[in-house]
Amino acid sequence: MAESPPQTAFAEEALTHLDTLYRGALRLTRDPDSAQDLVQEAYLRALRYQHSYQPGTNMKAWLFAIMRNLFWDRFKGSRKEDVSLDDVGEFVLYDKLRDEGAKPEADVLDKLAASEVVAAVEKLPPLHREVVLLGDVEGFSYRDAAQTLGVPIRTAMSRLHRARQQLQKSLYDYALESGIVRANGTKEVPNE
Amino acid sequence: MNCSDCKEKLDRYLDRELSNTEMLELQLHLEGCPPCTDNYEFQASLKRLVKVCCEQDKAPDALREKLRQILT
Ligand SMILES: [Zn+2]
Repeated sequence: MAESPPQTAFAEEALTHLDTLYRGALRLTRDPDSAQDLVQEAYLRALRYQHSYQPGTNMKAWLFAIMRNLFWDRFKGSRKEDVSLDDVGEFVLYDKLRDEGAKPEADVLDKLAASEVVAAVEKLPPLHREVVLLGDVEGFSYRDAAQTLGVPIRTAMSRLHRARQQLQKSLYDYALESGIVRANGTKEVPNE
Repeated sequence: MNCSDCKEKLDRYLDRELSNTEMLELQLHLEGCPPCTDNYEFQASLKRLVKVCCEQDKAPDALREKLRQILT
């Protein structure tokens, strides 16, 4: 039996988001083979549930939600641990670099290797990693990110904020280890 | 708007998630405040850097082909 045109059109449109899904899966699983499996499973599920997709809404977000839910199903056992997120406290890389006299601060960013930036993203706990993928990499609005993650907008926003701080801390640690910045002893001591 | 308000709203400004009025207020503050502008540009560069680095990965052609066959 020939495929019905609507199904083909749906699949074609869904496949335009393949790079986004694959990148997301790769960052979440941190393994190319697992990422391919996860993406394939996500597409099969999407096809099965295509009736629940409302045409005209954000298909990329809908597909991403299916993929990340599958990912979390597989990681259910470790979910609790993943939810208790490390808190680095307020860490603002810019302030840190400025305090240490790294001028201009932006030069430090130019010296970071792409692979280190990716490594820093992958080091984030999955709940933080996924919000960075949606917000920073794929440019989702807070509303779309929240919907994709199944959390209130405020939660998505604060998670993104904390994830960015954690990412900045990890990039800072790398910059220290690799000698891009030096924690010098010449920090300004406030008078009195 | 002072520097600490600006700092507090910087993420949402960066993500274009403030109301039009707030976007404008923040923009005006940035225009008159080099330290906040410097900070903003740093955060914007960092966001761009994360995007560029993570976007380098593309789905393998073989996967695309396989999915096309399965799905269509
Ligand atoms: Zn200011």
